[in-house]
Amino acid sequence: MDKLDKSRFEWVGANALEGEGIARPSISYWKDAMKRLSKNKTAIVCLGVIILIGLMAIVVPIISPYTVSEQHYAHTNAVMGFKDPTDGHLHLFGTDKLGRDIFTRVWSGARISLFIAITAVFVNFIIGIVYGGIAGYMGGMLDNVMMRFIEIINGIPYLIIVILLMMVLKPGTTTIIIAYAAVGWTGMARLVRGQLMSLKEQDYVVAAKVMGAKPARIIAKHLLPNTLSVVIVNITLAIPSAIFTEAFLSFIGLGVPVPLASWGTLANDGVKIFQMYPTQLMIPALCISITMLSFNLLGDGLRDALDPRLRR
Amino acid sequence: MTLVKYIGKRIFYALLTLFALVALTFFMMRLLPGDPFIGQKAIPEATRKALDAKYGLDKSVLQQFLMYIGNILKGDLGISMHYNRPITDIIAQAFPYSFNLGMRALIFATIAGVLLGIIASVKRGTKWDTISMMFAIIGVSVPSFIIGALFQYFFGLKLYQWTGIKFFPITGWNSEMSKILPAFALSFGSLATVSRLMRTSMLDVLGQDYIKTAKSKGLSQKKIIWKHAVRNAIMPVVTVLGPIAATVLTGAFVVENIFSIPGMGKFFVLSIQVQDYTMISGITLFYGAFLVLANLIVDLLYGLIDPRVKLTELKE
Amino acid sequence: MSKVLVVNDLHVSFDTYAGEVQAVRGVNFELEEGEVLAIVGESGCGKSVTAQTIMKLNPMPPARIVKGDITLGEHDIVNATEKEMMKIRGKEVSMIFQDPMTCLNPTMQVGKQLTEAIRHHRKLSKEDANKEAIHLLETVKIPNPAQRAKQYPHEFSGGMRQRVMIAMALSCAPKLLIADEPTTALDVTIQAQIMDLLQEIKEKTNTAIILITHDLGVVASMADRVAVMYAGKIVETGTAEDIFYRPSHPYTEALLRSLPKTELDRSVRLVSIAGTPPDLLLPPKGCGFASRCTSCMKICQTELPPDFTVEGKHQSACWLLHEDCPSKQCEVNSDGK
Repeated sequence: MDKLDKSRFEWVGANALEGEGIARPSISYWKDAMKRLSKNKTAIVCLGVIILIGLMAIVVPIISPYTVSEQHYAHTNAVMGFKDPTDGHLHLFGTDKLGRDIFTRVWSGARISLFIAITAVFVNFIIGIVYGGIAGYMGGMLDNVMMRFIEIINGIPYLIIVILLMMVLKPGTTTIIIAYAAVGWTGMARLVRGQLMSLKEQDYVVAAKVMGAKPARIIAKHLLPNTLSVVIVNITLAIPSAIFTEAFLSFIGLGVPVPLASWGTLANDGVKIFQMYPTQLMIPALCISITMLSFNLLGDGLRDALDPRLRR
Repeated sequence: MTLVKYIGKRIFYALLTLFALVALTFFMMRLLPGDPFIGQKAIPEATRKALDAKYGLDKSVLQQFLMYIGNILKGDLGISMHYNRPITDIIAQAFPYSFNLGMRALIFATIAGVLLGIIASVKRGTKWDTISMMFAIIGVSVPSFIIGALFQYFFGLKLYQWTGIKFFPITGWNSEMSKILPAFALSFGSLATVSRLMRTSMLDVLGQDYIKTAKSKGLSQKKIIWKHAVRNAIMPVVTVLGPIAATVLTGAFVVENIFSIPGMGKFFVLSIQVQDYTMISGITLFYGAFLVLANLIVDLLYGLIDPRVKLTELKE
Repeated sequence: MSKVLVVNDLHVSFDTYAGEVQAVRGVNFELEEGEVLAIVGESGCGKSVTAQTIMKLNPMPPARIVKGDITLGEHDIVNATEKEMMKIRGKEVSMIFQDPMTCLNPTMQVGKQLTEAIRHHRKLSKEDANKEAIHLLETVKIPNPAQRAKQYPHEFSGGMRQRVMIAMALSCAPKLLIADEPTTALDVTIQAQIMDLLQEIKEKTNTAIILITHDLGVVASMADRVAVMYAGKIVETGTAEDIFYRPSHPYTEALLRSLPKTELDRSVRLVSIAGTPPDLLLPPKGCGFASRCTSCMKICQTELPPDFTVEGKHQSACWLLHEDCPSKQCEVNSDGK
């Protein structure tokens, strides 16, 4: 072995503090999730698309020169980009069989479809969180009974209930929302309850209790944030299903009444004359599909971003 | 709980649900605006009295309800207002078509979905995975009626126009070829759901320790996947078959309409349009009961293939 | 006696999104027939990775053998193809894992899981394999083996499941058995039973065993030789006696000191080692233990210590053993100050 410089053997001693320090700085859960989400290009694009659609839905019916039900018999079934010679305005998406401007109808329809979907999901969310929260936090017999009830409701196909309700109540936007809310909350309730039940038993919650934290603090600081992430993902993924349900109901004739247009009714109209004027189906179909796709992909992205196990 | 107890519990819930369904339908019908017989031609008093007696409209609500249940158990769902035929007859005539269509779609969606999910998970991160999952997410996002219409247009009409050969008839349900498009369109969404679920489940299972054990024994990748992974991964898929059956069934309504298939969907949509209330309630009841039965079968199936159910507490 | 296993300068890294994690940074050891080598160390020191690399069980996309050799009998493991590995795994070398609960397929009968390996390697018929499986269950002392073979893992207790794992591992008479923390997940009484079983097996079959554990008590009862691992490197090797009675590395000493004593003297505080192991994304230039070592010297922080021979086959990688190291420092070392 080579002779080494004696000075190199100077005693230094342990650097305990340096040893205790953890190498990488830690950031909060939400910041980390946001960082992860922002790196997911697909999800960001979808978010952009959704915002764009929302903006169009709000703005277009206001600034459009046409109304939803204005009929121009002279120019029915016009092609896309047709310029109306009488008033010089452009029918960006053409006109339908009654001469109504499809562009305006599509974006008013967007308002209705999105409004229904968001409201319905929101109502489900409220009912679900309350129901599931009580069942999950209380546990015991109460939880048992509440879950049995859900099981029976779930057993009845939701579409059946929706259809029955639609028949009994006057057709309209509110009815659809009520019908959807009457059965849709079970998913959210189960989810929240499941989360609370498993979180309750987690060591860190028990530790908090042991250290004397009051129930309110436990709920706010420990239970809610972890439940919230799952709930957010669920909401994002529930919206396309609501849009689909509305479209489906409209398709079988149980949708919003004339003269209101929703994407579903527009698609329904379009299907009838699909072979002659395919755009009249394609346009609402594309709107529905793109919106559903965006929410689905965004939901997937959110799920990956909020999954604590993938934390960096 | 034992297998027997599990089966018993499932059957009990199924019956309870059926009861709730019947009650719901009955009371909904009573809430409907108007008289069930309005809209027909004017009925002479005597006939009216007879009809009232037959349907028990002159008795109390509870008695009517019991009569209703009694009728159902006898197989009498009432008479269609629009067609003036017993609803059970109409169902018996139309259901076989719907069933055929639905079963084809369901079986195809399940098998193809499972295979696709397995491929995507095993070839994770490669282009096969990306393509399958892109395909799947489109399937989940595009409603079945749009897909049906698109298929009809492109594979039915356009293909014929381009090639001059009538590959796929665009309507009807007679030849074998005519059954392909509607069944495939109907299966699309469910296929997508199943494949996504199977992929996630497989990835989950492949990360488990017993897969490492299997590898440490020197088993080939193929054996590990098929003998160990798939058997475990497919269980969540089985549990979801019930709701998928429901989706296929409801999707059938729409697909039948687009492809002019004389199944129950056509009657159902028609009855909604003409407000044939008895028919609507009859069909919804039938469908509801059918789905409860399907869910029950799926539950029982799950109990049979998961060995843990046979002897231990079933975690819910 | 021929060497069952020779590991030479093994470096294994994981390619993660955050960078290259150097899990194993130059490990050398050998194993003779019938020998029991215990690899001891904290969680994260690289012992499991080393073991799994011997069987190439780590999924090779994130994991990567950067350099080194592993020779199992006549087989060159590092360069072996997957096909060759499939013949080696289970037959030449087998492994039992830490958590018997999750290591058995819950939907497959136990007997079938046993016969799988048997039929794959030994090409027995179904009936013969079944008989062999029952016989193996007997060897690991599972009562009612014929009945048990038809049952599922969840019908067994933890200790019994571990016995099944052992039976599975021995089914094709491997020359080397790797036991990765076999008793960590079990109760203390069951631990003792399992260790006795392993001892019996070693005596009967002369299988070499690598015993990976962080429990020094288990080591004392069974190991012939011990290798102490820290931060991806082996810091000291020797016989069990050498390690327990003549520890020559500050880390080994600290480990031994941190064992709770059996005296009930409550005035004595539990000793722990201050600090945490280094982040292997950015491994330290010098000795991995430097930041926590009470005898750390300037050279320790800048240069990796080579293996110094303490006596015979007892080796330790510590600069304190360098001939130029002033004896004053060595005294400071044994004082623990």
